[in-house]
Amino acid sequence: MQALLALIRVDLLLESIAGLIALALSHYASKAYRLTGQKRLSDLSTGFLVLSAAMFGRVIGTWYFFVLSSDGGDPSSGNSLIVVVTIAYGAMKVMAYILFAVSTRPTLGGRPTILPMLMALPVLVDPNLDMVAIIVLLVVVLQSTVNYLNVRTKYALYVLVGFSFLLLSHVSAIPSQDDVRGYALSQVFQFLGFIALLVMLVKAGREA
Amino acid sequence: MRSKKPYRSKMRILADMMRAIQSEGENGAGPTKILYGANLSHDRLTQYLDELVAKALVLESQDSEDSRMYVLTEKGRDFLREFVRVEHFSEAFGIEI
Repeated sequence: MQALLALIRVDLLLESIAGLIALALSHYASKAYRLTGQKRLSDLSTGFLVLSAAMFGRVIGTWYFFVLSSDGGDPSSGNSLIVVVTIAYGAMKVMAYILFAVSTRPTLGGRPTILPMLMALPVLVDPNLDMVAIIVLLVVVLQSTVNYLNVRTKYALYVLVGFSFLLLSHVSAIPSQDDVRGYALSQVFQFLGFIALLVMLVKAGREA
Repeated sequence: MRSKKPYRSKMRILADMMRAIQSEGENGAGPTKILYGANLSHDRLTQYLDELVAKALVLESQDSEDSRMYVLTEKGRDFLREFVRVEHFSEAFGIEI
């Protein structure tokens, strides 16, 4: 039990750091949007903001769950809280990934009209959203690969590595429902993904 | 089939002009160098140069009637540095600016 609690503490710490990195990326994308007026940067900024909100929501929700449990409160209210937090976390992540897929799509034609429909997708599908997240992230990773092959810059490579780690984190989460190691691995992959994106942000800022 | 010319945003055109000016060093660049450096028509060049001067990103100096030179101001250099950062960031995600 103590080992599990320690793991959850580390998990929440990694999630908080990743949330801060997502917030920094959202801030920079928004700044870039104000300078250039490129709408896709605004979509990218919203994507990272939603992702950051999902992560902080999960951290706060999980922490609150433990506070309720330690106070000897009604276990059913704690359980329903964790269910709500988990569904909201998954749905918001899928929304963020859809925004990434839309903002990083190859430049051809106009804005896709499918976006509003895709945004509603998380509430239309099964609460177990990992599979949806994997499909959307697969699109994002493919688009990042195409972009890297076109521009061949280290910045594009960091983004490709970052999104690939996020995809791996969801893939490794699938068998983790009754395997703590798989769950821990998933969190580590997610953290590494955000570290790659942070390195890109720092290097892009430094090497102007 | 006709090949499609890549779209250049106004911000990119201004940055290209400022790069052309910067590449000429401390003495600055004349209109012809900027025109070729940024690949612009004469009308657009005049319009955008006026805008750069009005925004205090570029300083215009005129020795004689026919010789005008343009140099980047400190604000212009800061803008160009920020633009390059944004360019790296956007390019990393495959977003054209």
